[in-house]
Amino acid sequence: MEEFLKQFFDVGFMVDHFDEVLDGFWITTQLAVLSGILALIWGLILATLRQLPGKALMPVRFLTIAYIDVFRGIPLLMLILLIAGGIPALEFLPEWLRLPEWFGKPDSFWFGVLAITITYGAYMAEVYRAGIESVPQGQMEAARSLGMNHGQAMRNVILPQAVRKVIAPLLNDFVALTKDTTLVSFIALNEVTLVASDIQSETFNSSALTLGAIMFLVVTLPLARLVDKLISREQSRFTRGAPRVEAL
Amino acid sequence: MDGPSDGSGVILSLRGVCKRFGDLEVLRGVDLEVKRGEVVCVLGPSGSGKSTLLRCVNLLEPPEEGDIHLEERSICKGPGSGTGEQSWELDFVRQRVGIVFQQFNLFPHKTALENVTMAQEKVLGRPKAEARSKGAQLLERVGLADKLGEYPERLSGGQQQRVAIARALAMDPHVMLFDEVTSALDPELVKEVLDVMRELAEEGMTMIVVTHEIGFARDVADRVVFMDGGVIVEEGPPAQVLENPREERTKQFLGLVLEH
Repeated sequence: MEEFLKQFFDVGFMVDHFDEVLDGFWITTQLAVLSGILALIWGLILATLRQLPGKALMPVRFLTIAYIDVFRGIPLLMLILLIAGGIPALEFLPEWLRLPEWFGKPDSFWFGVLAITITYGAYMAEVYRAGIESVPQGQMEAARSLGMNHGQAMRNVILPQAVRKVIAPLLNDFVALTKDTTLVSFIALNEVTLVASDIQSETFNSSALTLGAIMFLVVTLPLARLVDKLISREQSRFTRGAPRVEAL
Repeated sequence: MDGPSDGSGVILSLRGVCKRFGDLEVLRGVDLEVKRGEVVCVLGPSGSGKSTLLRCVNLLEPPEEGDIHLEERSICKGPGSGTGEQSWELDFVRQRVGIVFQQFNLFPHKTALENVTMAQEKVLGRPKAEARSKGAQLLERVGLADKLGEYPERLSGGQQQRVAIARALAMDPHVMLFDEVTSALDPELVKEVLDVMRELAEEGMTMIVVTHEIGFARDVADRVVFMDGGVIVEEGPPAQVLENPREERTKQFLGLVLEH
């Protein structure tokens, strides 16, 4: 038992390596927040393109659906490897694009951001779509009857309602995204997983990885609770006779 | 409001309007003329095409055949002239025709006042202050001066429907369409909505009212139109159509409606 605790929960060892692991987790955080924001925006753009009306825009809708299906079907790790190994080899690209080192971050960071945004943008587009489709048809008709064009109606009437309904599932996707940033360790980004697993192979002690896992929990557990709270609030809005949450 | 554009004062005219949903022919050649300031009530059994007729007029459901003229301008480019919305005079129509729906369709994430100001600002480009003062004025006119900041879910059905009327009026429409606006209301709330419409009619608004409220049609309408099976069966002054209908189908329908 003592050996088990020493292998996974050596507090002294964790204290010794705390700063290193935290540095790695800071990279993880930056990667997750930046990719998360970009995926939220990209997903919204995709969902909007998918809803464009009219026959003339059929090709746009078709391409958007194809994109969403394809990138939800490819493992993120493969995409990361494809991008990190492929883009630097594209000689026709300027070097600042082939080997991006913007804002003092290594190219592996940016390749990770790109891969995660591509994949999670597709996931989030589907979440937005569910929200858009849950807004009654009469809302679009009312907006159009007042003279708004499709874009104005989407922006002012449909999307504000749709987004409100899907904040919880979007947050769920963000939690999953945060955990999936660990995959970028495969292309040698010094995020928390790589840092901790290097320590593990040097010292044969896994407590640094445990520490990394705990850091994840510090972020993901409150998010999970927040998701629950948002869901129950959304449900109580539509429960007749129940006390309104705001009134409590 | 613009002056009448010709001697007859016809603001809206429909000629041979047809509309299909798949195999279902909902409108099978409707002719109708509406004069400026006239109140036309459209009666008929459900499925007779009344609502579709209104939705054709403001192009929510563009007709497949026939022609509609609004203020002497054709708003359809006719069948086969193209696909998609570009072949319709959408902006021209929607700046002149307001519609109120059976299900209110208020924007639930906006207050009563914001519901009335949104399109004023986004579509007409009115400054915020002007839109707000116009909105407040209209809400006061429909008896909701104390509800400006309320969200729709906190309003009764009758109040919501009055907000919806104010929202349509805020765009300064030349014609107002009412699509069974009291059908989703509890009986005790019907009157407050009809009263607003009655006032509007007295002020000279051109109105096409699809309704089951025979009393309203009798009191307010200049003309009553009876529809069945996608065509206009009979039309005329309320006293004639409602008291002495010529057509058998009209008699039957009125018999059923007035029975209870």
